[in-house]
Amino acid sequence: MSVEVLGALLLGLGYLALLLGCALAVERGWIPLRISRHPAVYTLALGVYASAWAIYGSVELAANVGFGYLAYYLGAAGAFLLAPVLLVPIQRITRTYQLASLADLFAFRFRSRWAGTLVTLVSLLAVLPLLGIQVKTMSEAVNLFTRSQAGPVVALTFCAAIAALAVMLGARHSHVHSRHNSLLSTMAIESVVKLLAMLGLGAVALWFVFSGPGDLQAWLEGPGYLAQARTARFDPAQWRTLLLLFFAAAFMMPHLFHITFAESLSPQTLLQASWTLPLFLLLMALPVPLIWWAAQSVNETLPFTAYAAYALSEHWWVGALAFIGGLAAASGTMMLIALALSGMVLNHIVLVARPPEARSDLYGWLLWLRRGLVIGVILSGWLFYQWVGRHHPLTSLGLAAFIGMAQCLPGMLALLYWPGANRKGMVAGLIGGVGVWLWGLWLPLVAGYTPPTLPLTPLTPTDAPIWYSVTLLSQSLNILLLIVVSLFTRTSEGEKSAAEACSVDAVIRSKRLPLEAATASDFSTHLAQALGDEAAHREVGRALKALNLTHQERRPYALRRLRDRIQANLSGLMGPSVARDIVDRYLPYRHDDAPITDDIHFVESRLEAYRSRLTGLARELDGLRRHHRQTLAYLPVGLCVLGDDEELVMWNQALSQLSGISGESVIGSRRDSLPAPWPWLLGSVLNEGPSPLYKQAVRLHDKDYFLTLHKADLSGNDSRGGSVILVEDHTEMKWLEDELVHAARLASIGQLAAGVAHEIGNPITGISSLAQNLRYDTQDPALLETADHIQQLTERVTKIVNSLVGFAHAGRDSPGLPRSPVVLRTITDDALHLIHLARSGEDVIFTNECTDALVVQGDAQRLTQVMVNLLGNARDACSPEGSVHITAGKQADQAWWCVTDDGQGIDPKVRDHLFEPFTTTKAAGEGTGLGLSLAYQIINEHHGRIEVASPPPGTSRGTAITLWLPLFQQDDQLPHV
Amino acid sequence: MYVYRIMLFLVFGGYLLSPLLMDGWSDPSVAWYRPFVIWGGLIALTLWLEQKRKLDER
Repeated sequence: MSVEVLGALLLGLGYLALLLGCALAVERGWIPLRISRHPAVYTLALGVYASAWAIYGSVELAANVGFGYLAYYLGAAGAFLLAPVLLVPIQRITRTYQLASLADLFAFRFRSRWAGTLVTLVSLLAVLPLLGIQVKTMSEAVNLFTRSQAGPVVALTFCAAIAALAVMLGARHSHVHSRHNSLLSTMAIESVVKLLAMLGLGAVALWFVFSGPGDLQAWLEGPGYLAQARTARFDPAQWRTLLLLFFAAAFMMPHLFHITFAESLSPQTLLQASWTLPLFLLLMALPVPLIWWAAQSVNETLPFTAYAAYALSEHWWVGALAFIGGLAAASGTMMLIALALSGMVLNHIVLVARPPEARSDLYGWLLWLRRGLVIGVILSGWLFYQWVGRHHPLTSLGLAAFIGMAQCLPGMLALLYWPGANRKGMVAGLIGGVGVWLWGLWLPLVAGYTPPTLPLTPLTPTDAPIWYSVTLLSQSLNILLLIVVSLFTRTSEGEKSAAEACSVDAVIRSKRLPLEAATASDFSTHLAQALGDEAAHREVGRALKALNLTHQERRPYALRRLRDRIQANLSGLMGPSVARDIVDRYLPYRHDDAPITDDIHFVESRLEAYRSRLTGLARELDGLRRHHRQTLAYLPVGLCVLGDDEELVMWNQALSQLSGISGESVIGSRRDSLPAPWPWLLGSVLNEGPSPLYKQAVRLHDKDYFLTLHKADLSGNDSRGGSVILVEDHTEMKWLEDELVHAARLASIGQLAAGVAHEIGNPITGISSLAQNLRYDTQDPALLETADHIQQLTERVTKIVNSLVGFAHAGRDSPGLPRSPVVLRTITDDALHLIHLARSGEDVIFTNECTDALVVQGDAQRLTQVMVNLLGNARDACSPEGSVHITAGKQADQAWWCVTDDGQGIDPKVRDHLFEPFTTTKAAGEGTGLGLSLAYQIINEHHGRIEVASPPPGTSRGTAITLWLPLFQQDDQLPHV
Repeated sequence: MYVYRIMLFLVFGGYLLSPLLMDGWSDPSVAWYRPFVIWGGLIALTLWLEQKRKLDER
């Protein structure tokens, strides 16, 4: 081995070792995540599009067709310019369904494992020439750089190193879809290296070979003019065809699909690439003609036009620059092709031929398979170069690859924009197109025979190259078969739903189908039959974690989402076909007679996610939908909506507050799985017919409620069925009604008591008169004493009767009643008489400490009523053996009159609205809540005020209610007795 | 969406008309960097449209 060869080997291996070091630095976090996941890193990683073709093939093309070489760059730039309408929708589908490759996407959309297998085979055949280009350029660059023939061996060494690096970067985790920051960063570094190499070579050409831009222009117009004039030009049709081929290649080549979609960071990053990638490609394309012109100016007869860079200068570093640039481009492309193709072959050929069994080391088995395939793909690239590639120019190899891959373009466009396309149409078109490509281009390339005359060749110009005829015929046949077969064959339901899922403008209309599995834990049990216990538990756990659910989840809606997520995750692991087979078999839907309707909640959640994509009328309609939804969500009355299958579709905020159950936790549940008493309550109204259920007594969070439920059926032509139920809280109204009934009953009793008292008055008056007569009719001291006693007792009865009558009339509003002097002690005594009549609280000790000297101005009967209420409350507040003190005094021109008890005091929550009507701390039926309100009103009418102290100052319990009333001022009037 | 339509128009318009531009570029008397200037202008336009799209979606 010569020194030059050893040097090239060390240079190449050193560069690859440097890449490995950078990858490890990213992997271990030595390079911050904000750098490794920066959008610029993603754009640079997309630069893997610029393969060895961009370093050498473009120069060859520039030598042959002048600026026609730009088709390679402009086609890709066009694809990324259309990122919002082309790439972002594909990214949405691949992220949602965890599709890592073009074959995954086709298998998912056309619901056919064979579609995936077919696309994988096409990709494999198409990519081989591209891999061959990479190996060929490495080998020939080594030959030129070292001026030896050691290229193939050194290239094989590089291939081995690249395979090892690819395994380390991309096949260390079993999950294909897991994003590899290190892979992304490595690809970005490769792009930077090849860009710097190209710019360096361009600078050498412009300033070392020529003396600057002016000198170059002078050469072009002078000595170089003839050479340029002799350069062939692309026919417009051929130019457009090339643009189309490179447009398709930019996102459909396996490695480019992988880096664009499977490794993408976010839709925003992809949109940003719509101008950053064209900028990168511009910088890559700029030096190409400079290199060619400079090499041409140095030596007009170059043997290898593709490797013109090596003829720029005798300086070794110019050759090294070209060598490293080429190696960076080739190694990045090979690594990514190997990773992408290995996933495709694994999911769509290996696993389809041999489905995974329930095994304990499922992940390890998949991982080793993948590593073997990575190495196999790179090795096949080297073999292709050895057998085929070394005999053909770069352009022929590249065009064979790009034309082959472009056969998937009609299917891809139909996938996005034509829901009517079906599996049979796609397969027919693809087979037709690929057949032409194989027959006209690929097989002649491999087998080395002369390309046959194609049927459409007479329609093309006589001097049209074979690649152009093959492209024209294969694409025409592909599109024709796709359309015709799709139109005349039946599309399955599965395909229709997948077409909706993939369609650019569609929102997936998921159905509310019940699952056989009743809980999330059942999923693990069922899946274990296919994946083994460990893998099943891990996959279910991963899906639950992603959805923020628990193993106890029972809601049908949540279980359906769990099923979708597991299918998507398995799709990332084994491809969509195998994943769908496993999920359909082990997590099946239950097919009973229950009505099947759209999963409205799911559709809504998708609409929310798509909102920013809506425009025009759709956006307006979505705005209206949100408005109506908010109207229902914030309605101050409880509202829930149930589907025909009794699955809960809506549970608004008012109902959440009333029930204490959040909407998120129950939406998607069945009615019968709601917490009590809701299943019974909602079931009652659903079975009740059109009439509402009035004031149903229920117990919610340890309180009694009375709820009224109204129901309406959501029927009609456009309706998705179900029922809407309004839940009104009538607890307070029911309580008020009860209180009013109670108050009315008390009023009746009061009137009755007043009537009875009035009737008692007459016989008592008779008894008193008879006792008086008895005093006049006898001188017997014993009889006289008896008569006195009778009179005293009748006076006492009269007093009681008068108090009762007076109290019965006191509740009526009597404005303008004369205010008279009132002795507080007397009023207190009257009130105590009435309190004692109630026969309750007899064990409470009342003490009247008021003096006769305190006289206020007012209405005696109404003040008695106030005192009765205060004493009644005090008595009720006291425990047995408690005491109530009534005291009075004066201050300035006002008297204070205070009732103090040693009861439990007033709840602070009630104190603020103590004098409001219907405020009570007593149990329902025991108090009206009107007493203190009435007392407040009466004292207010007397120009007084009420003060409450609970507990009174200096004590720890009890309540003191103090009434302030104006003192009586006219000394000449007699006090009321 | 209007921004997307402009991009669609640009790409398909460019696709159809690019052969006319190609004829001009191939003339050795024309400044060699002309295609790249046009391309740079297109990138600047895309950058501007991208900024506009971001503002629209806010």
